[in-house]
Amino acid sequence: MTITPVNLSSTVADDEPPVSLWRDAWHRLLRNKLAVAGLAVVILLAFVAVFGPWLTPYDFLTQDLEARNQAPSLAHLFGTDDLGRDVFSRVVYGTRTAFVVAIVVTTIAVAIGVTLGAMAGFFGGLFDRIVMWFTDMTMSVPNLLLVVVINASLKTPITAWMEARYQATLNPFYRETIWVDFLLVFGSMALISWPPYARLVRAQVLSIRGRPYVTAARALGLTNRLILMRYIVPNAIGPLIVSVSAGLGTAMVLESAFSFLGVGVNPPTPSWGNMISDGLRVWQHYPHLLAAPAAVLGLATVAFSFLGDGLNDALNPRGSK
Amino acid sequence: MTAPEIQKPLLDVRGLTIEIETRRGPAIIVDGINLTVGKGETVGVVGESGCGKSLTMLSLVRLLPNKIKVKGGTAEFAGRDLLKMSKSELRQVRGGKIGFVFQDPMTSLNPVMRIGDQLCEPLIYHRNMSKADAGKRAIELLRLVGIPGPEQRITAYPHELSGGMRQRVMIAMGLACDPELLIADEPTTALDVTIQAQIVDLVKDLRKKLNMSVVWITHDLALIAGLVDRVAVLYAGTVVEDAPVGELFARPTHPYTRGLLASIPKLSDERASRLSSIGGTPPEPGRRPKGCPFAPRCALAESICHERVPVLEPVAGHSGHRVACFVAQRQLKEAA
Ligand SMILES: Nc1ncnc2c1ncn2[C@@H]1O[C@H](COP(=O)(O)OP(=O)(O)OP(=O)(O)O)[C@@H](O)[C@H]1O
Ligand code: SF4
Ligand SMILES: [Mg+2]
Repeated sequence: MTITPVNLSSTVADDEPPVSLWRDAWHRLLRNKLAVAGLAVVILLAFVAVFGPWLTPYDFLTQDLEARNQAPSLAHLFGTDDLGRDVFSRVVYGTRTAFVVAIVVTTIAVAIGVTLGAMAGFFGGLFDRIVMWFTDMTMSVPNLLLVVVINASLKTPITAWMEARYQATLNPFYRETIWVDFLLVFGSMALISWPPYARLVRAQVLSIRGRPYVTAARALGLTNRLILMRYIVPNAIGPLIVSVSAGLGTAMVLESAFSFLGVGVNPPTPSWGNMISDGLRVWQHYPHLLAAPAAVLGLATVAFSFLGDGLNDALNPRGSK
Repeated sequence: MTAPEIQKPLLDVRGLTIEIETRRGPAIIVDGINLTVGKGETVGVVGESGCGKSLTMLSLVRLLPNKIKVKGGTAEFAGRDLLKMSKSELRQVRGGKIGFVFQDPMTSLNPVMRIGDQLCEPLIYHRNMSKADAGKRAIELLRLVGIPGPEQRITAYPHELSGGMRQRVMIAMGLACDPELLIADEPTTALDVTIQAQIVDLVKDLRKKLNMSVVWITHDLALIAGLVDRVAVLYAGTVVEDAPVGELFARPTHPYTRGLLASIPKLSDERASRLSSIGGTPPEPGRRPKGCPFAPRCALAESICHERVPVLEPVAGHSGHRVACFVAQRQLKEAA
């Protein structure tokens, strides 16, 4: 019997043959320069977010009224703001805010979206229709409008209640309005962020469920659990990971947009958004107050998006060159 | 070519009927198929696209898509009715006793899994092999199906192999647990002609080596002429003729079979083949004619053909040859 020549692409012809999908994906990711750059920036920012307080020369609240609105210098890398606070330190603390918001919001949104989407795709029928109806509804309302409405209608009563509790108990916890901020920001952002994940996962499950290789796996007698874990999930997860990575960047932009509109994290908690919003008022005179937070926000978004694209290619062995 | 001696068939399908749920209500797709496959026998199932070949085979291991259901009949495999057995028993049959090879090797392998891992899966699951043993067996299987350098190839992803190689991998998967029956659903349709012949040769070779029964689905009678012992001709979800392969080629009896054979292109006689190819299209599900399903396209159709459904009956004097046609049966009797 004659043997046909085999079209052997170079992908696996690596020094040491990796054994799993994930390790292969990792190897492929490392070969993608943009993705590696994105990953490096993300890691750096994450490091800054975690260890920020030990990295900054100043506290983000310390005001130095002698040194207001200074241009960048060695003493103040990104200069100082109108209260004489060190902008570099505030950007660093803002990184922490951005990561906390992005991670918490994306986690909640992904949890809701994946659960509802997978169930809708799997069960179909009425449940599917209800979930999709909610999804469409949520997606048809402009995001910012929804968030503004939620904040406007909930923030005042909650704050009033907290103040009342404080008056009654004198427990200083009730004066920490930062928690209310976070709760409302997280809640409303998660509420507008889950529908795309639900749609994505539903579409994935629907299309993969009927693929010939799933039928072939069934014909091999494999159990549903095995088929789900080895055939459906790995094929569905690529797009999800991509979308989560991009979603983290989007959440940071969203948080900034909300802060900018005054419905996000409130001062004095530093967030890139409220720094940008402050900076915009005076940018003609002190451009560094706008440039520093805006540049970091832009960098973070681009990094997450490159990383997402790289992950997409890496997780899809067919797409690799 | 003679069929091996058949006592009790390995697979005995009787009156298998399959329905599809449509907007206009249920419609019959497969209408009372009878099919037997003996131990060690290779049966070709031939018919036009859409005549129900794939659904028949999928229904045996209960893998029909949603909205398509078995409505009647039995399918005994080694004495047990596949259509009634428990889910766990069925899972032992799938991949363990009945191996499948699917039509499209491009989409029937999991794109994100190395072919070695995919081959190991049934071995670990059905044979309780350790990962290391399964890996060794996977290499053996790849060698068995003629894949060069199997030690390196087990780490390849499906997209790194050519179509023919992928189909060999699919065959290896079908064979992994030494099935008693291999069902190959148009395994060569997606491949080019020279590779088709190689795959046919491979299965021919393996069938002997492994002593298994094979059902080979195709719409290309010529391709499998040298491979199969017997041929069942399907039309619109029924078996219209069933005969040992030599007998079928020598004495095609059903008008549809004759049309099929005549439409096999012969280089020497191109005009004749074009003249005798069958006009018209098979009935759509839900629009089956009342009598013989072939009647609207049949040149020999008589009034009885539009009234009653012909059943598969032996062709007198030719053992193992059965045909479902009023006119053919009458002509045979007149000739005798
Ligand atoms: N998933 C499905 N949904 C709806 N109808 C289907 C489905 N699968 C098959 N059918 C219909 O059932 C009939 C028989 O299909 P089947 O796949 O068994 O044909 P086949 O003989 O294998 O054809 P082919 O040679 O093209 O593979 C066809 O008319 C087809 O339209
Ligand atoms: S039964 Fe009648 S219509 Fe059917 S194939 Fe025979 S001759 Fe044609
Ligand atoms: Mg088919």
